[in-house]
Amino acid sequence: MNERLDLRFPADGSVLSIDGLELRSGERLVVFGPNGAGKSTLLRLLAGTLAGGPALEAAYLPQRPYLFRGSAGFNMGLGLSAEEAVRSRQLADRLGVGELLIYAASSLSGGEAQRVALARTLARPEPWVLLDEPLSAQDARDRMKVASVLIDGLGGRGAVIVTHDREEAAVLGDRMAVVVNGHLLQEGPVAEVFSLPLSDEVAAAVGIGNVIDGVVIEGEGPLNSLRAGGLTIWGLGDVPAGNPGRAVFGAESVTLFRGSDGAAGSARNRWVGQVTEVRQLGRLVEIVIDAGVRVVALVTPGSQEVLQLQPGAGVTATVKAAAVRVNPT
Amino acid sequence: MDFLVEVLGDALEALFGFGSELRQVLGLTLVVSLLATVFGVVVGVPLGTWVALRRTRVRTAWLVAVNIGMGVPPVLAGLALLLVLWDTGPLGGLGLLFTPAAMVAAQTMLAIPIAAGVTAGAIKGLPPAASEQLAALALSGWERGRVMLVEVWPGVVAAVAAAFGRVVSEVGAVLVVGGNIVGETRVLTTAIVQETRQANFGDALALGLLLIILAAAVNGFLTWMQLRSGRHE
Repeated sequence: MNERLDLRFPADGSVLSIDGLELRSGERLVVFGPNGAGKSTLLRLLAGTLAGGPALEAAYLPQRPYLFRGSAGFNMGLGLSAEEAVRSRQLADRLGVGELLIYAASSLSGGEAQRVALARTLARPEPWVLLDEPLSAQDARDRMKVASVLIDGLGGRGAVIVTHDREEAAVLGDRMAVVVNGHLLQEGPVAEVFSLPLSDEVAAAVGIGNVIDGVVIEGEGPLNSLRAGGLTIWGLGDVPAGNPGRAVFGAESVTLFRGSDGAAGSARNRWVGQVTEVRQLGRLVEIVIDAGVRVVALVTPGSQEVLQLQPGAGVTATVKAAAVRVNPT
Repeated sequence: MDFLVEVLGDALEALFGFGSELRQVLGLTLVVSLLATVFGVVVGVPLGTWVALRRTRVRTAWLVAVNIGMGVPPVLAGLALLLVLWDTGPLGGLGLLFTPAAMVAAQTMLAIPIAAGVTAGAIKGLPPAASEQLAALALSGWERGRVMLVEVWPGVVAAVAAAFGRVVSEVGAVLVVGGNIVGETRVLTTAIVQETRQANFGDALALGLLLIILAAAVNGFLTWMQLRSGRHE
């Protein structure tokens, strides 16, 4: 049972104003955006803990799960039937907090408390599950494990997952809605939103993106070419030639080859340049290239090592035109 | 200076002389105030919890009522009850006026708003995450109240202490509905008034010291309960 929801808060929509947020049963929708964008307000409206929303029949994990006085086990069982309690204990075991249930809730670390609350939320019977930053308190080394138990624990139910973390969004989401300043800016499959932000605002919100200003020199069908700092960038767009334009593409869309002779292929954009910066970014590595303009690429640590992508290294960057959007400015 | 020393000497003499009349006054004080505290807490703590967990304007109205109740002068509460229990009043037929039962009723009226107000304050003092979590759990009203009360347990103990402190120290209400009858309705506070009026300052001071010892004993016990609950957090 899919839902198409209008969300407004307060009544004048000054904090949150979204029309037609689409929730599909069996699908995990990530609501992504910077802090203060209205994501938690959105979730609280859906959960019904904030009045005035189209409250769903949903299990809800608040951003800061609060454990009450008593044991962790007592807290995990709150509101659960006997059968659900059994399920929550199985989930707790898989989340690595099964042994901690006999201890006072106040003795748990933030990450452990979050896992106990997550087990309780996932064990609930409601058809929808709402999770507010469900991995925020987890150590980097536990995150992926918790994420996989989480996905499993949903058991195919539809979920709305709020996060401001790119990695969390990429791992947990099927689809992604970008919310900035209380407005829904873009909605689509996670990979598409990351690699093809529809606007500069979305590009800025989803993080490491390439936003390059120039002048549109050619328009052919759905393609535009943009001239910027000696580079020609091909991308999707319908900006008339001669107008200023802005090319936007995700750092994940950039493929790197060592040297300047690299790789024939279907990619329309091939730029030769030099690595200027290398930065560890979660499990990935961000590579900044000077190719006349600044281009950012995201690669795995393995690729970085094999290609020896260090500052000063000569590289060829390629990007499919279909992964670039040219917007008017 | 000589006067004060003399009064203190008389007071100590009276204390160590501890006669049967004094024992009777002390006993009645304990029974009346403890019963009023128990009744006040049994009604006031759930009332305060209920008020604090409301989310509408009803809550504001109730909070205002509770806060006004906390400030009602005891003698006024006594007067109100006196009018109800008067021979020709609505409940005159019960014949409760000038009995310990009337005194317990009057003090219960004073204890309820205090217990409710302190409890509501403790619940409202919890971080917003606590009430958000409570709402997220989709518990029944009963369970919500139970979880909340356990959560604010030290606050509940404080409510008991505040209620007892209010009733054991007040003189207006018990004087009006009890009448300060020797051997029947005389308690420590009314006895102090009586002895002071008759210039028996030594006896008055002795009664005052007893009152302080009594209050200290009860509050010491409640503080111990509070600290104990803290260790099990």
